[in-house]
Amino acid sequence: MSTPLRVMLIDDEPIVGKRLGPVLEKMGCQTETFVEPAVALNRLAEQEFDVVVTDIRMEEVDGIGVLERVKALSPRTKVIMITGYATLEVAHEALAKGAFDFIAKPFEPRDMRQAVAKAAEALGLQMPEAAALMVEEILLTEESGLPE
Amino acid sequence: MTSIPQNQPPAVGAGGQAERTRLAERAEGIRRALVERPRFSLRLQMYLGFLAAFILSAGVAVALVYNFHDMENKIRFLEIVNDYVMEVEQARRFEKNFLLYGSNLSDALDSVFQAEQILTRNAGELAAVMGPGWSQVMLPKLRGYQALLERLGRLQGAAGAQGGPARQDLQARVRKEGQEMVSAALALLSKEKASLSTTTRRSRQILIYSLALLLVVLVLNAYLLGIRMLGSINRFGEYANRIAAGDYTPITPSRRYRDEFTDLALAINAMIQELENREAVLIQSHKMRAVGTLTSGVAHELNNPLNNITLTAHVLQEDYAGLSDAERQEMIADVVQEAGRAKKIISNLLDFARETGSQLEPLDLPHLLQETIDLAANQIKLLGIKIQLQSSDNLPRVHGDSQQLRQVFLNLILNAIDASAKGGKIQVIVVPADEPNYVAVKVIDFGSGIPAHILPSLFDPFFTTKGRGKGTGLGLSVSQGIVAKHGGRIMVSSQAGQGATFTVVLPVTTIPAELGEGRHPEPANRAKA
Repeated sequence: MSTPLRVMLIDDEPIVGKRLGPVLEKMGCQTETFVEPAVALNRLAEQEFDVVVTDIRMEEVDGIGVLERVKALSPRTKVIMITGYATLEVAHEALAKGAFDFIAKPFEPRDMRQAVAKAAEALGLQMPEAAALMVEEILLTEESGLPE
Repeated sequence: MTSIPQNQPPAVGAGGQAERTRLAERAEGIRRALVERPRFSLRLQMYLGFLAAFILSAGVAVALVYNFHDMENKIRFLEIVNDYVMEVEQARRFEKNFLLYGSNLSDALDSVFQAEQILTRNAGELAAVMGPGWSQVMLPKLRGYQALLERLGRLQGAAGAQGGPARQDLQARVRKEGQEMVSAALALLSKEKASLSTTTRRSRQILIYSLALLLVVLVLNAYLLGIRMLGSINRFGEYANRIAAGDYTPITPSRRYRDEFTDLALAINAMIQELENREAVLIQSHKMRAVGTLTSGVAHELNNPLNNITLTAHVLQEDYAGLSDAERQEMIADVVQEAGRAKKIISNLLDFARETGSQLEPLDLPHLLQETIDLAANQIKLLGIKIQLQSSDNLPRVHGDSQQLRQVFLNLILNAIDASAKGGKIQVIVVPADEPNYVAVKVIDFGSGIPAHILPSLFDPFFTTKGRGKGTGLGLSVSQGIVAKHGGRIMVSSQAGQGATFTVVLPVTTIPAELGEGRHPEPANRAKA
């Protein structure tokens, strides 16, 4: 693996970044988490990211604003939207503006891993750690006997 | 995380039950006060009025009958006296013939006899008019005259046609007696004629005066009945207006007696109770509607703690072995904290949604408004709207039902949210009202405003500007009902394109706070029936 996948995670709920940061790191991504969208937008100006994961509803700048900014700065970046209470209207708007995928709250770490892996695939990047993790996960759920 | 205030449903339920019992007792008390007055029905007053008019008319009839009887007696008497006078005058004519020609003495005596017959035959009638002493007046004169005539006849028979001095003297006495007798009879006749005309006049006067008196009695009767009926009708008109304005205070006794209007008052009180029950249902159902509106915000907000819990729990599960004790502790603490947050998000709403009895207490309006804004906070956040609460310092408290007033303010705030564009602003201001002893709460939005032509119908039931299925058109109507029950009112001012301002004016409490606890005194300015 030459360059790790650069992922930016923006959610005004601090726990989301705190938990998902390590999860994405373990996948082999180079992750930066932000609670304030304005700070994240400043960072975007300095550094190009492969994947941006952003919550839609936030104070100051909302997810749509982030999406527009990312697409303006770097059209190839894949943007994954986290939405609390998916409304068709917002989904349409996000899709029209070039969002790559949606994750609806509440979600599990696995959902995030899959979405990021899909984005990486779409970018043509390999993620062996991610593949390994997913196999491990399947084994884990079988062992613990959790229903799928 | 036990810091979230626990509500006590049993206590609230018991309060509601006690409230219902109290209201039922009050209604029963008022019913008894209405019924336990002496009965003086309208029907009775009408009967009494007409009875008075009848008694008066009957009195007039009796007086007239008596008077006519009197007149008849007098006319009869006049006829008798007239006959008597004619006979006496006839006697005197014969007497003159006798004195001139010496003839007709027997005719004269015959006439005198006739006259006496008239008197004795009509003794009863004469006594009725002249009193029992009548015979002392007329008969002696007639008999004296008769005696003189007889003596004159005897003298004539004894001494022939030539008169001596004794005859001369007797003739003079006869003439004098005759004259006196006639003039006395004529005097009596004219006196009785005058008396008859007095009686006739009296009849006329009785008629005229009694007619006037009857008019007075009838007018008085109509006036008293009118005052009573119109007064009551006006009073009930006021009740109807009061009830229409949402004041459901039962009608209490306002007079010392009961009548047909009392039955009406009882029926209206029953209606008021029914209306009040229905309004309670309406208020509750409208509250549930507001709860429904708030649910989207709550559901959205609830996703955040739920998501945090899901993520943390999954990470804990996946990485359990690789985590240090401190890390595990931190994650568990996060789960506990986020669970508490979720509970808090829904507890406000559930607290608001709960059906409670009416509890009147002194209320701190800015605090109540902050609670209301918190209730709508998720909705406000969801739409990215800014809401500002400003209040004057040292505002007096108002006396009211916190649940119901919260519902009113929530309704106004939700309306303002609907009116605002995404990312708009809403101001809530609490200030002393322009009139003393009132506090004003203004909810101001900066939306498109309300067109002037629909402003008057804004508070009408079922009036809505929202699309089919979006608004019931009952929000403002219900709010107005609640505010009216608190002795206040809602006003609206708006200019197209400049937003709208809804102002709720509420009376401040003049009752000491400790009295307000549990005793439910009525607001100071509540209209008394």
